[in-house]
Amino acid sequence: MIIISPYAKALRNGKTNAKNYPYWKELIRLIDEPIVQVGIEGEEQLVDDFRKNLSLDELGKLVDQCKTWISCDSFFQHFSWDRQKYGIVLWSVSDPIIFGHPENINLLKDRKCLVENQFLWWEHTEHDANKFVKPKIVLESLNAKQT
Amino acid sequence: MDKVLCSIATRGRYQTTLPLALNAIINQTKLPDKLVIFDDNDEPEDVRNNNIYQHLFSIMDYKGIKWEWVYAAKKGQHHIHQSANRMGYDWVWRVDDDAIPEPNVLEELYSWINDDVGAIGGAILTLPINPDTSKNTGKIEDIDKEPNIQWAEIKKLKEVEHLHCSFLYRAGVHDYNLGLSRVAHREETLFTYGLYLKGYTILAAPHANTWHLKNPQGGIRSESNQQLYHHDELIFRNTLAYKDKKIVVLNVGMGDHIVFKRVMPDITNAEVFTCFPDIVPGRPISEAMSLFGDIDQWSIYKKMAEWKWTDSLENAFRKLYL
Repeated sequence: MIIISPYAKALRNGKTNAKNYPYWKELIRLIDEPIVQVGIEGEEQLVDDFRKNLSLDELGKLVDQCKTWISCDSFFQHFSWDRQKYGIVLWSVSDPIIFGHPENINLLKDRKCLVENQFLWWEHTEHDANKFVKPKIVLESLNAKQT
Repeated sequence: MDKVLCSIATRGRYQTTLPLALNAIINQTKLPDKLVIFDDNDEPEDVRNNNIYQHLFSIMDYKGIKWEWVYAAKKGQHHIHQSANRMGYDWVWRVDDDAIPEPNVLEELYSWINDDVGAIGGAILTLPINPDTSKNTGKIEDIDKEPNIQWAEIKKLKEVEHLHCSFLYRAGVHDYNLGLSRVAHREETLFTYGLYLKGYTILAAPHANTWHLKNPQGGIRSESNQQLYHHDELIFRNTLAYKDKKIVVLNVGMGDHIVFKRVMPDITNAEVFTCFPDIVPGRPISEAMSLFGDIDQWSIYKKMAEWKWTDSLENAFRKLYL
């Protein structure tokens, strides 16, 4: 089983968080594994098994059971890293050197995509699908990780 | 050579002591690299039309002192000092607008600069000079028991824990507490004691006398609301009460809390304030705000922006707290 954590925290101004991966539906179609989505109420459901609003204990137990996971830059990548369960993080505008963990596979399309000031509110940054790696690259990393 | 900014905040003293203070600054034996005047008047004037100021500005130009006149936001002098603190100079010499430093003051204070020093203050004298401060400790724990060491001539160099009024300080390493009210009661004590807590030496230096005229008219602290003083005094007392603790304030997201967990075991005697006690146990953030006024001094994101940080978040926490 693979866990996906598709969304970063919702922004206060209602705009799409620039860290949210735009190609989840395409990526999910490519993955030949049972997938469990984790997140909170109000987020778009992408797979049949969507576990919302889990407690930290519940989330931890689920993470411990999974083969691996895929996430955008959000709480989840830190949480799973802390449990020593490493996965794939899909980056765009935030810097994996600062906010990531080298134990994970950190997929960043290009450092030129990073915003200049990493420490402002994300409300100021526009979402841009072109700043993310394509699903094919994610799948290659997933397959490599599982072999 | 380290660059020195001279900063002076003024209010209600255009026609009285401000020109005297400016005159004293531009006649120092060591000149500052720049003079910035923060004008906090309710009805600011354009003093370029004033003959006396025209001459003073001309002398600054002639002597090569860069100067800038800034209209301040009337939020209190701690905001003004924080602006000066972050103007990119190595040192800031803060001078009151009714203080007259003798010509050697900046040179004397500057002569004590070394890598360990955070601030140096000379005597701040008002006649008649009453207190005998020769046996003062200058320690924060004695602040209620002894007159300030700067209120009499300083005979020999002494390490202290706090300064007041006018002094030279290392810029950009510690923030003024912007949680104080607009009267900014105790702001300089909190600031210099904060430098001390960061491990810097604070010095009371001899032969650097400033005459404080204590002009009853005007002044940056011309405010009589006792509630504001009470508010600031509470912040000051709380800071003292926790002086032996390492204050940790995690006003950040869940992921940041998880990263911080790796740093926590290396912090001794911590008092933790947290948004997510199920991840990092501690007291509510709201308590930190009411105790210390300003919690931005523990904002890891603000610090990383200031440091132009390019290393990991975990190492940023280490820099802030270890």
